[in-house]
Amino acid sequence: MVTSSLLMHILNGLAYGMLLFMIAAGLSIIFGLMNVVNLAHGAFYLAGVYIAYSLVARHMGFWPSLLVSVAVVAILGVLVEKWLLERVYGRELEQVLLTFGLSFIFADLVEWIWGSSPLTLPVPEALDVSLNVGGMMFPAYRIFVILVGCLLAVLLWYIESKTRIGAIIRAGVDDREMLSALGININVVFTCMFAVGAALAGLSGVLGGPIMGMYVGIDAEILVSSLVIVVVGGLGTWKGAFIGAIVIGVVDTLGRVWFPSFTMAMVFLIMIAVLLMKPNGLFGRGAAA
Amino acid sequence: MKKETVALHVAFVAATMLLPLILTSYGLKLTSEVLIIAMFVMSLGLIIGFAGLVSLGHAAFFGIGAYTVALISEHVDNTWLLLIAAVVTAGIVAFLSGLMFIRSSGAYFLMITLAFGQMLYAIAYKMEGVTGGADGKAVSESFNLGFGAIESRLAFYYVAAAAFLACYYLLRVFLSSPLGKGVRGIKENESRMTALGYNTHLYKLTVYSLSGMMAGFAGALYAYFNQYISPDLLHWMFSGQALIMVIVGGVGTLLGPAIGAGFFVILQNYISSYTERWPIIMGLLFVCLVLYGRGGVIHLASLVWSHLQSKRRTGREKSVLPKEGSGFESLKG
Repeated sequence: MVTSSLLMHILNGLAYGMLLFMIAAGLSIIFGLMNVVNLAHGAFYLAGVYIAYSLVARHMGFWPSLLVSVAVVAILGVLVEKWLLERVYGRELEQVLLTFGLSFIFADLVEWIWGSSPLTLPVPEALDVSLNVGGMMFPAYRIFVILVGCLLAVLLWYIESKTRIGAIIRAGVDDREMLSALGININVVFTCMFAVGAALAGLSGVLGGPIMGMYVGIDAEILVSSLVIVVVGGLGTWKGAFIGAIVIGVVDTLGRVWFPSFTMAMVFLIMIAVLLMKPNGLFGRGAAA
Repeated sequence: MKKETVALHVAFVAATMLLPLILTSYGLKLTSEVLIIAMFVMSLGLIIGFAGLVSLGHAAFFGIGAYTVALISEHVDNTWLLLIAAVVTAGIVAFLSGLMFIRSSGAYFLMITLAFGQMLYAIAYKMEGVTGGADGKAVSESFNLGFGAIESRLAFYYVAAAAFLACYYLLRVFLSSPLGKGVRGIKENESRMTALGYNTHLYKLTVYSLSGMMAGFAGALYAYFNQYISPDLLHWMFSGQALIMVIVGGVGTLLGPAIGAGFFVILQNYISSYTERWPIIMGLLFVCLVLYGRGGVIHLASLVWSHLQSKRRTGREKSVLPKEGSGFESLKG
């Protein structure tokens, strides 16, 4: 029984890790490519899940709500990048402050519109069943989230290493000036990447809604975990984000079961250990900022 | 020290001491809060403006100071002991964390300090048995330095004012000491300082620990002042507020952060009595400050500020002021 409940916790951890992966991947690439520590990334998660909640509550169905919500968050990302971030490129601290301010505005707006009591997104009907995993019943929805995460990882890996777009992004992480000197319109690349990052965070929010629930403050929790993942995995790489997210997701979930008060401390210790051994993270590209 | 400088300092101290004459009881309370927060923000301004370490988790040390007082005051009632305990605890945590964090710089340092602060927040939030969890804890012990309990707002104002002045002058002395000059040299040009044979890591660690101790001291006073503590004191929002106070007040100055603290605490008090949406307003302030700060009010204020500074200080000290007036270059090294 002990092993099967451990398996259960690990599966839960994987599901949580996949949600974190979707956020951390965007955060990491935005950081690596644009040198922006986007502290508003948690707010995109928040926006994703709350917009989906409102749509589902209006009987729109889970899947259409997911699409609409992700699209809205992507547009939000474009607006933030075009209207605000673009004006302060190259000025690191100002970018941090800007996104920090935005995260407050978004979080407080969400509290204003939807109230501060916790809500949950219902599990989509088709997946509202339990599967038999090693003698224990496990929600199919979480398995689905794990699959989506893995699929996304493969897709992102393929784009990163096999396509022209991926080559542009890798080149951008290594040397921005050189990339624009080669005739690539770096502004378009930045806007697209920021939108993709935002959309991934929104997707994570919607998919995470039925698992994590939604409440004010979850954005900060998610953001901090994702920042830890970026530091652990190394900036500018999807592989690092994937491995880091799995490690942090599983440790966090096991921590919640065994030492509820010190979950964050365990996650933090992992970060410190990695940082002391490999200052650039496990799979870091380029020098530490 | 020049005669005028001495006169200015005497006037500064006298003004602080005479301020209660024109303040209402509510004003006294608010000003005490400003002074306590100012100490905290000054400690953050010290590491940002003089050592180039931009932290987004400085509330950790403030919170540690406050929690130390709240938790130990259940067993010990000597105010001196509690204050010392708070300062020492915050100092030790700052030293140990600095030992690990200071290797990294720039955005990495910012992310790590943020994660560190949020870790302490999570611990304080979840260890309900010890810390009271989200509800926080009341601090019932009265402030007593050996001359009887200090209960009135006026008396506490003088405690806060004396503490603030002590911190301010301590930092002035520190910054003009060889150690402080070394720290400033590191901010100006770290590789040159390394080449000159300075152990820059050690210098940064010293100033980080000192800053943590001062933040812990401010937190301890705050616990007495507010008679209630909650995990919010450790939250990144509070760290971020302190950061914005430093920037509004002026990076690379000592009194600037204190003035920023005054501006924000009073603004927050004023706005909070009209609306609950303070975070939105603060967020908008952040955004506007970043987008328009360069040419707008802040730039103007910093121009006025540097004008005053150049009158007041010697030319040598002036070089510490941020070159572009907004102090954001601290992260570029």
